[in-house]
Amino acid sequence: MALPHVSRIVHSPKDFRVRDEALEAAFARRDATAYERAYQQFGARMYTSALRVLRDKELAHDCVHDVLLHLWRKGTSYSPARGNLEAFLVVCVRNAALTRARDDARRRALLAEQPPPATSTLDADPFEHAHVTEALSKLSETQAKTIQLAYYRGMTHTEIAAALSEPVGTIKSRISNALRTLRDALGKESLR
Amino acid sequence: MNDSHIGENAELYAVGSLDELERQRVEAHVANCADCLRRLGQAEETVLGLERETQAAPLPADARAPQFIAPRRAVWWLGALAAAAALIIGYLLPHPPTASNGPAQVAMLHSHFNHAQFTGAGPLAKVIYARDRSWYYVIVEGSHAYSVEGVGTSGTIDLGSVTTRDGTSELFVPHARRFERIELRDGPNVVETAQIR
Repeated sequence: MALPHVSRIVHSPKDFRVRDEALEAAFARRDATAYERAYQQFGARMYTSALRVLRDKELAHDCVHDVLLHLWRKGTSYSPARGNLEAFLVVCVRNAALTRARDDARRRALLAEQPPPATSTLDADPFEHAHVTEALSKLSETQAKTIQLAYYRGMTHTEIAAALSEPVGTIKSRISNALRTLRDALGKESLR
Repeated sequence: MNDSHIGENAELYAVGSLDELERQRVEAHVANCADCLRRLGQAEETVLGLERETQAAPLPADARAPQFIAPRRAVWWLGALAAAAALIIGYLLPHPPTASNGPAQVAMLHSHFNHAQFTGAGPLAKVIYARDRSWYYVIVEGSHAYSVEGVGTSGTIDLGSVTTRDGTSELFVPHARRFERIELRDGPNVVETAQIR
């Protein structure tokens, strides 16, 4: 897998987002209407995030559904103090999708750089044709490689350590530092 | 994660590099630690930024599935949940399970399901169906013995007739087939239709 090339980040007006504090507060107290609105506002991105991991439409739909039902039934650790509700939901669904992918046969396709299943629509590393590449250019080569294995390949830190023959602690620090560098590089517009 | 704070695990959690047990430990810690909660939230926002920038590129066709922007689809899971709750609380639970509704309860407990309202000149009626189309459960107000048919690309199939119990009629169909619509018939006449989406 090639490391990403450099391109320019372009923020269009649609990237400017304002957090809906009323929605976040209502979601935190498990208001049913807030769950519905959160699904309406963020469901598409949650679905796309799950699809990029699972590469299966039905599984991705089920994953979003399961995450919302789980949060509804079990209560949520979300509070407005945590930050952006959309970020919380996207990370929840990505983690659920990764758990599912790691638990079934798709894991082999994710980790072994095999061609995606025939039903997949993900034909290339999204890092290679997305605006995120400029932010990645701020990372060292080893940081970029590690964050790609973690974020795009869905590998755990222990799997990355084994793959790169490096200590687990080194990998953890590298992922942490890389993500914090990316936060600065992506800019406020992308993080609202 | 050290003894007191989650540290680097905030970023690992957000990027998806922790296993489930490690994530549970992070969740338990941030429930009582405002500093770590804030750090975790910042890491999650960074991942959201990556997702936004990545998805700013043309999305795969599957990601633009129309059912995610259709209002009906947008609330389907709450609607299905409400339908199931109303069905179970208001209809099934006051009565002992019978040979008729027992399989429907079991099917709903083990499935993801949708529901569709019948429209037409007939009575209030609804069909609850498994998302994988492995079963259909038709409920009709009243005691008339309507027949039920499934209509798909390969033709129409007679699924049977509803049976009456306490003023409501029902038919559970463990029929693994994809229908485009379900029809209620009174003799030769179609009185109600529900679209299966």
